[in-house]
Amino acid sequence: MDQPDPVIHQTVRLKIMASLKALPQGEAIEFVRLKTLVGATEGNLGAHIGNLESAGYVDVEKDFVGKRPRTRIRLNKKGRRALEEYVSYLRDIIDTPAEGKAT
Amino acid sequence: MAGSSIMPLSPNEAADALRDISQTESRSAAAYGNHMASPHMILWGLIWIGEYGGYYLYPQRPLIFPILSLVGVVGSFVIGARMQRSKPARFSWRYFATFVAFLAFVSALFAIIPPTRSAQIGAFFPLLVAFAYTLMGIWRNMPRIGIVGISIGVLTLIGYFYLQQYYLFWFALVGGGALILGGLWLRRI
Repeated sequence: MDQPDPVIHQTVRLKIMASLKALPQGEAIEFVRLKTLVGATEGNLGAHIGNLESAGYVDVEKDFVGKRPRTRIRLNKKGRRALEEYVSYLRDIIDTPAEGKAT
Repeated sequence: MAGSSIMPLSPNEAADALRDISQTESRSAAAYGNHMASPHMILWGLIWIGEYGGYYLYPQRPLIFPILSLVGVVGSFVIGARMQRSKPARFSWRYFATFVAFLAFVSALFAIIPPTRSAQIGAFFPLLVAFAYTLMGIWRNMPRIGIVGISIGVLTLIGYFYLQQYYLFWFALVGGGALILGGLWLRRI
């Protein structure tokens, strides 16, 4: 990977992806819990989740628990793979000798 | 967002990003563990209050312990199955094996070191739970569960050594209360 994935290459979105990856595969997290973990405002988090959903990296489920609306977010296979590639990209930068980067 | 030319990262920036990812994953995993453990802890807090409180009020009915323990085991399984929606609930042989190993351990221990007073048995199980939670806190990077474990252990010892007359009441109130409060505390990230 010569260029980082532009969808993930952003602080809040990277934190969202990392938070979701730590869950068991297929497990979802509630929006409010993710908000606390990432430390973003509600609007900001919603916008970034929208970006990740548009890229096909996360699945968003909306339902009701009693009368209370609930939004749950889950990292899908494509998103998991994208994050792994991004981590590889970061590791390559660290592992590549500095003199080779000048060109 | 998706610009065609992204500034390349320096090795230091890449290392920072990797560290951020690792820290976020650790926090998320710990929060998930707390979230999953919380209802179990609250349930067992209630069972604990029922068992020790019930035996304190009705000492002639020792069956309170096994009956409520069975309710707790079934309740824990139901909670686990409901919470983990990503996977269908399945009864692993490991649950049964764990239960058998636990029974064997307790039986063997009491055969070798037989308790002479009911207070010893009363204190043993809270200490075992305290030890298990403390280990979980240490090994699974879940400090809150570790703190709950240490608290239960210390409170149990206080009850055993200084409040012998009221130890059942003490274990019911403090042990059960500590589990319930601990469970509520775990719900907060």
